[in-house]
Amino acid sequence: MTQPVTTSTRHRGFTTAAVHAGQEPDPLTGAVIPPIYQTSTFAQDGINVLRAGHEYSRGSNPTRSGFEHQLAALEGGERGFAFASGIAAEDALLRAVLRPGDHVVLGADGYGGTNRLITKVLAPWEIAHTPVDITDLGAVRAAVRPGTTKVLWLETPSNPLLGIADVAGWAQVAADAGALLVVDNTFASPYLQNPLALGAHAVVHSTTKYIGGHSDVLGGAVVVGTAEWRDAPLAEAVGFQQFAAGAVAGPQDSYLAARGLKTLSLRMERHQANAQAVAEWLLERPEVARVLYPGLPDHPGHALAAAQMRGFGGMVSFRLAGGEAAARTVAESTELYSLSVSLGGVESLICYPSEMTHASVKGTPLAVPTDLVRLSVGIEDVEDQLDDLERALAASS
Amino acid sequence: MSVPVTDHDLSTRQIHAGTENDLTQRTLTVPIYQSAAFEFPDYEAAKQMFAQTRPGFTYTRTGNPTVAVLEQRIADLEGGAGAVATGSGQSAVAVALLALLGQGSGKHVVASEKLYGGTVDLLTDSLADLGVEVAFVDPTTPGAWAAAVRPDTRAFLLESIGNPLATLPDLPGIADVARAARVPVVVDNTLASPALYRPLEKGADIVVHSATKFFGGHGNALAGAVVDGGTFDWSAEPGRWPQFTAARARWGGQSLVDKCAGASPYLHLVRAKYVHDLGTTLSPFNASQILQGTETLDLRVARHTASAVAVAEFLSGHPAVARVHHPAVPGDPGAGIAARDFPRGTGSVFSFDLAAPGDAVGPFIDSLRLFKLVANIGDTRSLVAHPAAMTHCRLTPEQRAAGGIAETTIRLSIGLESPEDLVADLRQALDGVLETVQTPGK
Repeated sequence: MTQPVTTSTRHRGFTTAAVHAGQEPDPLTGAVIPPIYQTSTFAQDGINVLRAGHEYSRGSNPTRSGFEHQLAALEGGERGFAFASGIAAEDALLRAVLRPGDHVVLGADGYGGTNRLITKVLAPWEIAHTPVDITDLGAVRAAVRPGTTKVLWLETPSNPLLGIADVAGWAQVAADAGALLVVDNTFASPYLQNPLALGAHAVVHSTTKYIGGHSDVLGGAVVVGTAEWRDAPLAEAVGFQQFAAGAVAGPQDSYLAARGLKTLSLRMERHQANAQAVAEWLLERPEVARVLYPGLPDHPGHALAAAQMRGFGGMVSFRLAGGEAAARTVAESTELYSLSVSLGGVESLICYPSEMTHASVKGTPLAVPTDLVRLSVGIEDVEDQLDDLERALAASS
Repeated sequence: MSVPVTDHDLSTRQIHAGTENDLTQRTLTVPIYQSAAFEFPDYEAAKQMFAQTRPGFTYTRTGNPTVAVLEQRIADLEGGAGAVATGSGQSAVAVALLALLGQGSGKHVVASEKLYGGTVDLLTDSLADLGVEVAFVDPTTPGAWAAAVRPDTRAFLLESIGNPLATLPDLPGIADVARAARVPVVVDNTLASPALYRPLEKGADIVVHSATKFFGGHGNALAGAVVDGGTFDWSAEPGRWPQFTAARARWGGQSLVDKCAGASPYLHLVRAKYVHDLGTTLSPFNASQILQGTETLDLRVARHTASAVAVAEFLSGHPAVARVHHPAVPGDPGAGIAARDFPRGTGSVFSFDLAAPGDAVGPFIDSLRLFKLVANIGDTRSLVAHPAAMTHCRLTPEQRAAGGIAETTIRLSIGLESPEDLVADLRQALDGVLETVQTPGK
């Protein structure tokens, strides 16, 4: 139904591909921006005679296909699949590959919504899981249940503790176990990290975040390489799930996500330059007990991140010397930084994960520290961001 | 060429017109070409498109495939030869008039004295700055139009249903005067929409719209349109219309009537000169919103119109109402023209005068709960406005008096809500007015 990605020699550079892959001018009118095909269905030339391969927009839609091609090209994947949200993408992938009785090795430091999906939604369908420390490959290997572990699920950099996992190392464990390695690449974005090239079999994204980049669209995506699964291409299994379960991205949302993706590299460069400056500034503050940012030389994953990523990203977390009360005060005292869940938009956001993004793991062994604040560092002038953070830190002490 | 519209096929045409073009993907609805520009097939094609010797989309300021579908649809529903869409109704009126008045010696307009205030602003201020003069006359009396014509008159301008008093013009009579005076008639058909009234069938030459209103119908996007009936013969008196009949360097050394043989020289001037030079462009996204609205045009307008009659009848029986300006209310001067020219009703925008001092208007409006205080009309929601303070505030008191707008005139745009709820809302607010008037010390 969807055409495979064609790798064009015109798209050698990342930003060239971001602007052009899947986004060729409309062949009919020359419109430089492919149209938003806001249609549910497509007229047929005869019974099941489809003019351009499109039958019904749940199966495929030209605007969505264009975005899927664009994203797949940037991840170095074979096929991309766009969904209505990041969680919808994760759900589609997991249900496409898992069967009752299967087991998932789940990186413990990850988005609370992913944890909720596996522990609350899939567990009643007899999907078991074991949480593991993403930085401890021995623990990852020990968690594998031979014959029943079918998926290793990893998020790196992790949310919200900014841990860095060895993707190639995880891939080796997955290969030895005959399981799939899935990497949630939302924090890094395809500009900073391409997990498929490091051995992962599938990448998932909340495209709401850096890919959309402007906090104006909800979306998710799965990108797969050439992996086979249960004797058929993994892409077929995901494509069937997308079509048959139908949590697809709409044409307007696909247009917005594709529009954002074109400037990803520019935005990420600014995000991470600002994040580095914010992290280094926080290090000097007496109110701050610890700064979690892989771009800092003393971060335990710094060398690994430098080796497997093109940069350290725009997310910074830090812990307050004044504990939970200070963390809550900082989160509620910024003005430029909006107190909000989500991340990856041009505007700076601050979050108190324990009660917000990770409320679903509160009271469990996976609970995040209560003195932790997470920043999604925006592209605003960094001096204004530091002024804002300084006022908030002063309010907490 | 235009195909006459019949009442029964309007329902079909409002959904399908303009989509005959073969779109590559065969989408069932119109794609949103959210693109500023278009890639030329090659250099030669670019040269020819810029020289306007080859049709094609170049830059969205002057044309876009999504906008083009809307243009064809509006032209089709009005029974016109073609249309140019604009970014707002106001810009549609402006470019429609500039094309008639902008060149040559004639800069005089005879206009209805019952016009939307923004149109009056345009005529008496911005166009007056450019030397345009206007005579305002009664749209129900063709003789007044004949008396106002001057040798330099180049346009008649009126509304098919006047804003805000729902005044109905004698368009066939005015068109007879115009034909004798050899002046084109421009009709703003915003309040009626082609579902109720098609001015080209009644003798108009050009129709303008704020498509923001009933075409879009949901209060969510601005748009305008200029429709040419293709009926006015610019060549009959070439000296009066040099913008169409004289050779111009801009048109490759040709005149527009020669260049546009078979098409509309008027719309070419509107698009290639005025929309191009002034940039009054409609965005593709807004065009898509309006296109979706057109699909339910006659359903909505029928409901709007029926509810408006019910509300008008209620108002005419309430003691806090001095007068209802709606042709369905007994004694309204528009009844005769309504019966002759408006068999499907006279729309849903009308006014009434409070039987109370002017200072009762504010408390009355603020006590409405369902009617929203909004400077717009033709929405699914019912809207209320106070013309003297809002839409017609820049008219002089004399101009407002000539337009029949009192200090206590309240304009309503009846939405698609339950008419019983609308009546109940008006009743509680009018009862409040009565209470205040009857117990002045309270």
